[in-house]
Amino acid sequence: MPEKPPRPIKILSSLPLNLLLNGVLIIPFIIMIYLALVKWSPLVGVNWWNAPFGGVVNFQRALSDSRFIEALGRTALFVAIVVPLELLIGLLLAYILQKPFRGKRFVISLLIYPLMLPPVVVATVFYLFFQPYGPVNNIFLQYVIGPRALNIYWFLDPTLAFITIIVADTWQWTPFMFLIMYSGLSAVPKRLIEAAEVLGASEWTIFWKVRLPLIKPLISVAVILRSLEAFKVFDYVYVMTGGGPGTSTESISLYIYRLAILYSDISYAAAVSLIVLAIIFIVSYFAVKILVGRR
Amino acid sequence: MLRRILTNALMWLVLIIAVVWTVIPVMWMISLSFKTYGEWRTPSLLPRNPTLDNYIMLFSPQALGIFIAYTAILEPIVGPLSRTLIISATATVIAVMIGFFTAYGASRYNSPGPFTLFFTLLTRMLPPATFVTPIVIYFTTLYLIDNIIGLILLYAATTVTYAIWILKGFIDAIPVEWEEAALLEGASPLQVLFKVIIPIARPGLVVAGLFIFLMAWTELLFALVLTNLNVPLSVQVSKYVTAVGALWGVQAAAALLSSIIPLVIGYLIQRHLITGFTFGLVRG
Repeated sequence: MPEKPPRPIKILSSLPLNLLLNGVLIIPFIIMIYLALVKWSPLVGVNWWNAPFGGVVNFQRALSDSRFIEALGRTALFVAIVVPLELLIGLLLAYILQKPFRGKRFVISLLIYPLMLPPVVVATVFYLFFQPYGPVNNIFLQYVIGPRALNIYWFLDPTLAFITIIVADTWQWTPFMFLIMYSGLSAVPKRLIEAAEVLGASEWTIFWKVRLPLIKPLISVAVILRSLEAFKVFDYVYVMTGGGPGTSTESISLYIYRLAILYSDISYAAAVSLIVLAIIFIVSYFAVKILVGRR
Repeated sequence: MLRRILTNALMWLVLIIAVVWTVIPVMWMISLSFKTYGEWRTPSLLPRNPTLDNYIMLFSPQALGIFIAYTAILEPIVGPLSRTLIISATATVIAVMIGFFTAYGASRYNSPGPFTLFFTLLTRMLPPATFVTPIVIYFTTLYLIDNIIGLILLYAATTVTYAIWILKGFIDAIPVEWEEAALLEGASPLQVLFKVIIPIARPGLVVAGLFIFLMAWTELLFALVLTNLNVPLSVQVSKYVTAVGALWGVQAAAALLSSIIPLVIGYLIQRHLITGFTFGLVRG
């Protein structure tokens, strides 16, 4: 093969991609920086490219915006709850499924199908699940706490509403953790486990001293990927609680969506978006350094 | 010995709970979607008088008199369904084509460079909500709001990275010697690309295409932001909950109807999901 790409290949392999990415993503990114630095909303009455310069006012406003800071903290809390939860359940199931048995493939198919469902559908399912007189109250809780369970309003209590979102996310994304952990554990060489067995190690010791250290890098990557993904949470909140009651379950994605679409507070929405992007960059830089770079 | 039996029993119990917990919500939805109005709020697991009313309501909201108040905000689901089909299919074709050319260059000639490839990964990591504001302004200026072309371009741009990375794996596995042989026979580089590589990489194209189709089908945030009247399916399904309220059976029917194609695709690609998730990170 020649070292340098022939001309047609060079054009085909970079021009279409660059057109698409620049046209659809890079230009909006530049517009976002511009919008954050001006004072503009549709109410200003001039075209957005003629807006008056605003400097850092939008960024200053964000620092004293308690709704923004609460949404940010809430989303971080959400990530801190769902990611370890999904990792632990996923790891446990992946470990159990290392044993061969009949119908294993079918069980795996059943366990991972939530991944394929549209998040809107999952949100609808759990929205209905947690209604008063819905199955959670009607079937499960009624046996535990009696008939008053029928009148638990999950979506009218901030904590309960937050829990419903955690349940929906865990239901859909535990299979993701399970899949990664399952592939990882299956890739651990059999000879290592057999060697440990010959030396008389218990199953427990083998798990902690042989299997777990080997899949540690994989766990790090899975945690980072899943955290970035969980931080985006929008669909469940939008459909199930609408951020309510009040703004008590609003995620950062929902808040930005409302600033831009509902309140048309365009310049401020752009500034908030940039702050969130900056935070994600800083946090993921250190996370990658600590979790992956240690080797 | 007893300890071993107990551990085994416990493991089976955990597995059974996990499977039941995974299956029950959707089973209950299927049952609910066939229940009559009076039965929605009862705990029965199977519909007593199975009915198709909920599905009829989706296709022609006027058909059932009691729901007349909602017909103003909900169009028959055929519209959103066909829109989503067109959007997802077109975005998939664009993303897979561009992704294929890029992956080929990256696999064989290191063109485009690693920076561009890393950038495409970045587009998957950042929260899409942070791009809502400028994209709305930009697309409004270009008259791409409420226009399926807007969503097609956006989905192609945000999913092309999957096509690149999936296809790069497939192309890396094709021996370079086959191409060299074709070049020696006097074929042009483009002929090699279309006559040699594409036929061999076809399974990869299919997997990448199905995966991207699934992504485009299920997206909600930008579908909400970039449409007003011509909404795609995901927005329509969310509307049954956020704008309509207490029509449980209809909500369940809408959710199920929009899950059929994703589930079929998921079944087709799950083999690749199971084997392909270690990123080469486990070394013995």
